[in-house]
Amino acid sequence: MVTNKKILYVQTSGIDRPERLYAPFILATTAAAMDIDTTIYFLIKGVESVKKGEAEKIKIGDFPSLKEVMDQAHKSGVKMFVCDQSTQLLGLSRGDFVEYAKVVGAATLNDLLLEADAVITF
Amino acid sequence: MTTTSGKDAGKFKVDKTVDCIGLYCPVPILKTREEIEELTSGQILEILADDPAVEEDISRWSKRTGNEIVCLERRDSVLRILVRKK
Repeated sequence: MVTNKKILYVQTSGIDRPERLYAPFILATTAAAMDIDTTIYFLIKGVESVKKGEAEKIKIGDFPSLKEVMDQAHKSGVKMFVCDQSTQLLGLSRGDFVEYAKVVGAATLNDLLLEADAVITF
Repeated sequence: MTTTSGKDAGKFKVDKTVDCIGLYCPVPILKTREEIEELTSGQILEILADDPAVEEDISRWSKRTGNEIVCLERRDSVLRILVRKK
């Protein structure tokens, strides 16, 4: 059995692209079930979907709401990091993210990229 | 990372302070880098910051650069970090 593998999912798409928001959560939840150390990092417009109250409003087809999929990922052990400085780029207010998304910055993303065995960006 | 209480933090002699209050990512890390360059091995740099991103970022910066965090304490929204130059 292979252990200690790490995947980093980077979410840069915003709430105007709901079709790109589900995949990292579904993939990450599945990866966690495969005993892979899994992180999602939200930056640029990606921070919009982890603002409190936003994911509840997003639902595509027969899928559950984005919030349900996000909560499931958290329960599965997926770590979520958010670049608060992206809010300034977008003219949004700082902070007020879902409680399990930790505010981090550029040094953390660089470190995560170097640590990861695979990186995929949405 | 070593975390000490405010009481223990007094045992370190600070050689230089970098005030990053009100500054946001990536500036605190860049200023820390700039100031640590000015110190000699073993000296202590004190960093004051209120950007919530700093805690995780400085620990990863420390891991990558080998400059050790010897104290990290929070007072309200302000983080006080002591880094020993490698």
